Amino acid sequence: MPRWMRWLAAMLAVAVVFSAFSLLRLRRREREMRRNAQRSEEQAIRELTRPTVTPSDVLTKAELFWASADDPQALAPVIIELPLSKEPALRAKQVLNTLLAGPVDVGLRTLPADAALIEFYLLPDGTAIADFTEALSSSMPSGIQSEEMAVESIERTLEANVPQVRRLKILIHGQEVDTLAGHLDLTGYFPVGSAPTPASSVPPGAPPSTLPSVPNQPPAR
Amino acid sequence: MTSLPQTSAGPVPLSVVVLDPAHGGADLGARGAGGLRESDLVLDYAVQIRAALERDGLRVLQTRQGNEDPTFDERSAMVNGQRGAIFISLHVGSTGLPGAVRVYTIPDFLLSESASAAPPGNPTGLIPWRQAQVPFINLSRKLADLLQGELALQFRGSPNTAQTSAVRQLRTVAAPAIAIEVSSVTKEDVTDLERMGPGLAACVERAVTSFRPVYDASQMPAPAGTR
Repeated sequence: MPRWMRWLAAMLAVAVVFSAFSLLRLRRREREMRRNAQRSEEQAIRELTRPTVTPSDVLTKAELFWASADDPQALAPVIIELPLSKEPALRAKQVLNTLLAGPVDVGLRTLPADAALIEFYLLPDGTAIADFTEALSSSMPSGIQSEEMAVESIERTLEANVPQVRRLKILIHGQEVDTLAGHLDLTGYFPVGSAPTPASSVPPGAPPSTLPSVPNQPPAR
Repeated sequence: MTSLPQTSAGPVPLSVVVLDPAHGGADLGARGAGGLRESDLVLDYAVQIRAALERDGLRVLQTRQGNEDPTFDERSAMVNGQRGAIFISLHVGSTGLPGAVRVYTIPDFLLSESASAAPPGNPTGLIPWRQAQVPFINLSRKLADLLQGELALQFRGSPNTAQTSAVRQLRTVAAPAIAIEVSSVTKEDVTDLERMGPGLAACVERAVTSFRPVYDASQMPAPAGTR
């Protein structure tokens, strides 16, 4: 074998050994990074779900809405004694965190177990802004009924415990999103304080009942 | 896409049904334990409903034929470009009483929110895109109630009256629009859900047949002095 070929073979062997070591090191680093990311995510969720308690909290009978044990297609109120703040935004955080923690029977949850409330703001006009973690959307069972029940449980829990709230805006990780999990429109505000009603049918030819500005017949196109 | 033209033309009877099998592409929708995918199942329902409606002489369009995933606005644009059309969005949920079927239209608060956002007097003659459903809501609710009545007779556990929900897809449809949700992918036997297809198609066919005269009457100009 010529000398130059021996050199080339030796250099290739060194390169192969070096690559193998590098690959092993890279894999170890990747595993470490993944562990750290998981740790920091767990830490963030722990911090977000830490009970919000203030010295002035008063033990109050709070009304929380989860799925009904008798009819899982409907919501039912559950009375729980909770230390609640008199400050409306803080009080809203406390009841929503309890709602997210879920009922004793986990089958009656309306919100994903890994979702957390990041922040809650209450504006002077009664507009509430609830900012949830990504899991509210990504872990939500897809469907009109499940998404409707999730939002309704938040609305009704706020209505029962924080009367200052008039309407609700839901954000996901600080951002407005199109839908909760593919169905429910989150671009607008949900009214708080008016129970949802079944769709009422209007007899043919009848004048519009609820919206004076809405004509009863479609515009000709 | 921000607005729709309001052009004047003669009355058009109901002749087109746009079926919207929800999800598609990478968006599989609700998923069952046995590998069941909502996006596949609703496509199967759409084919069966289409056949039933075509037998009645209606032209049926689908927002997707295969595994595409058009956006909400692309789906709405398909029906908004038609005259004499209605829109039916098909879903299978993750929850709910297995075997029950619910029909939805959008709630009043979304309409009033849209109406309050509209410019006063609407000087442009255009309907804002997000307000597209407003003029059609009474017809949508009539269609929803007719269909829910049929479904309550066909599928045990289905409610007697249609529901309202802030369904994103319906908001931008400028035609009578409803969403149907079958419960649910949690059904242990996939064939149970597949077997619901013919019954679902028959209910939609009957409801659309009952709705046609209502729609056609709504297209007639109101008698003088009534407006």
